[in-house]
Amino acid sequence: MRVLVIEDETALREQLVSRLKQEGHVVDAAADGKEGLYFATEYPLDIAIIDLGLPLLSGIEVIHRLRAAGKVYPILILTARGSWQNKVQGLEAGADDYLVKPFEMEELLARLKALQRRAAGWTQSVLHCGPVALDTGAQTVHLHERALELTTFEYKVLEYLMLHAGQVVSKTELTDHLYEQDFERDSNVIEVFVGRLRRKLDPDNTLQPIETLRGRGYRLTLPRSAA
Amino acid sequence: MLSLNARQLLAASLALTAFLGLTGASLDQAFRASSEAALRERLQAELYTLLAATDIDRKGKIQLPEDLPEARFSQPGSGLYAEVVSNDQKQRWSSPSLLGQKIAFDARLKAGERRFEQLPTQPANVYALSYGVSWETTARGAENYTFTVAESVTAYNAEVKRFRQILWRWLGASALVLLAVQGTILRWSLAPLRRVEKDIAAIEGGEQQRLAGDYPQELQGLTTGLNTLLDYENRQLARYRHALADLAHSLKTPLAVLRGALTATPDADELRRLTQEQVERMNQIVGYQLQRAATAGRATLQAPVTIAPLLQRMRASLDKVYADKAVDCRINADNTGVFYGDEGDLMELLGNLLDNAYKYCKAKVRITAQPVSQPLHHRTGLVLEIEDDGPGVPADKLRAVLARGVRADESVSGQGIGLAVAQDIVRAYHGTLDIRVSTLGGACVSIAFPTR
Repeated sequence: MRVLVIEDETALREQLVSRLKQEGHVVDAAADGKEGLYFATEYPLDIAIIDLGLPLLSGIEVIHRLRAAGKVYPILILTARGSWQNKVQGLEAGADDYLVKPFEMEELLARLKALQRRAAGWTQSVLHCGPVALDTGAQTVHLHERALELTTFEYKVLEYLMLHAGQVVSKTELTDHLYEQDFERDSNVIEVFVGRLRRKLDPDNTLQPIETLRGRGYRLTLPRSAA
Repeated sequence: MLSLNARQLLAASLALTAFLGLTGASLDQAFRASSEAALRERLQAELYTLLAATDIDRKGKIQLPEDLPEARFSQPGSGLYAEVVSNDQKQRWSSPSLLGQKIAFDARLKAGERRFEQLPTQPANVYALSYGVSWETTARGAENYTFTVAESVTAYNAEVKRFRQILWRWLGASALVLLAVQGTILRWSLAPLRRVEKDIAAIEGGEQQRLAGDYPQELQGLTTGLNTLLDYENRQLARYRHALADLAHSLKTPLAVLRGALTATPDADELRRLTQEQVERMNQIVGYQLQRAATAGRATLQAPVTIAPLLQRMRASLDKVYADKAVDCRINADNTGVFYGDEGDLMELLGNLLDNAYKYCKAKVRITAQPVSQPLHHRTGLVLEIEDDGPGVPADKLRAVLARGVRADESVSGQGIGLAVAQDIVRAYHGTLDIRVSTLGGACVSIAFPTR
């Protein structure tokens, strides 16, 4: 997914960016509130990580303004001041979760996943669509209770489609959220990955899990179901 | 800013000046009016004597004896003058005192008419009383004459001047006396303030801890407030000192472990694990001690915090954070429940306890807040209960958790530190914290803040 990091502490920002990229996310980073607000309102983001103590524009103010601008993606706040007054203020401004510094990187990644899943309307960490079960925590996929071997990128495409099950996802959207900005944008690559996914999910061509809508994109046709 | 002394003195002086000035002016006015009336009466008497001495012969000629009834009429320039004149101007008699004086007595009055006026002359004005008289003469029938008696203002003015001198001398003297008395009163009534000042200087100098001694009723609010503030500051200072010492001491253990591990543990993975563990421990220690130091504690000068809206805000925030759990959180509190203290402390207390409840509950959390009142106490107490349907706090952990935070939470993690922080805040407000088994099945954390 595409993540925005607004953090003024250079060392922490770089750690966050490199760890998030390592996880396969597309990352934008800003060092102050003004730049951060610009990215937050201009880029197609899935989630934002915002430090509360920012130069130029406070984190709370950034959250207020981007919510006022109609942005609904989840926001995770980072704060060095762990006081509840602070946390409640941030959550009331429009954030969805908080982490108090110092935090474990794994904890941050887990929270991001949960927020993304929640924003897409999923309450459990394992997504079930028909016979397919995708565990966002362990990053594994099961088909009819059997483990499925997927490459990282195949997994990411499937996760995105399953998070947005039933919705049309365009190729541009997939590239925007799954690719680095400077990555060569070749829509053929997406087609290739979707083709491979189809073969792996539906070896005998009975399920037809991913529908192609000409000129518009893809849609996962399998119905969402409870565990 | 103007000092209290100067304000009082200025106000009193202005009031005194105005009062004495007005008194003087009205006394002066009254004196002048009465002197003028007396003068007029005297002139009237002179006029009647003159009238009695006057004789008018057949031809209408005015006759007065050489030897006038009032000797001053005969001395030139004596200041007392008389003139009798017929209204047709044909007959005129002037008193010898008018010799060499030019006074325009031009009143021509009908019989029985009277006029009292001041006429301009040299060297001094005169007050003149004129009276019209009708005189029967055998030759010409009734004829009208005007009798005028005049006296120079010099004597009158001198009298007024003397009176004024005496008047203003007395008024001035009484003003001085009043000011002196007032100054003394002021010094005496402001003496307690100077004592407060001296006491504060003594506190600054470290000679005493608080304002000691008796103060008048009007100052007691101020001095009690100051003492409360001082006590609060002292307690706060002591807490900071303790927190700092606690922090330093409790960080020494993990530091010692790390230092020991550096030399004694050759295995990199083991060293990494140990470092990770000790860093986490230090983080918890820092968080806990920071929280302890930040607790404002009982501050008596603050407006009370109404608890119900705050509970709703906290619930909304936690519902967001624990959205996945869809916790059913009920609040039983109305607007009568108030907390006398710092809002930040209350939020910290509620935040820690509610976070625990949300974290460990299966699906239900219940919050009850009720005021407690007691006769003769102005401030209501508060009983707060936070319950959940989770596993509850294990009995063996309970004591350890409540006794001292940092040690206990190493095994309990989250819950321990939250409870320890809550316990510290409750203690800072002289309240009590108790943990029971809730009717919901999990833990029931019950907090009571006393009435005052």
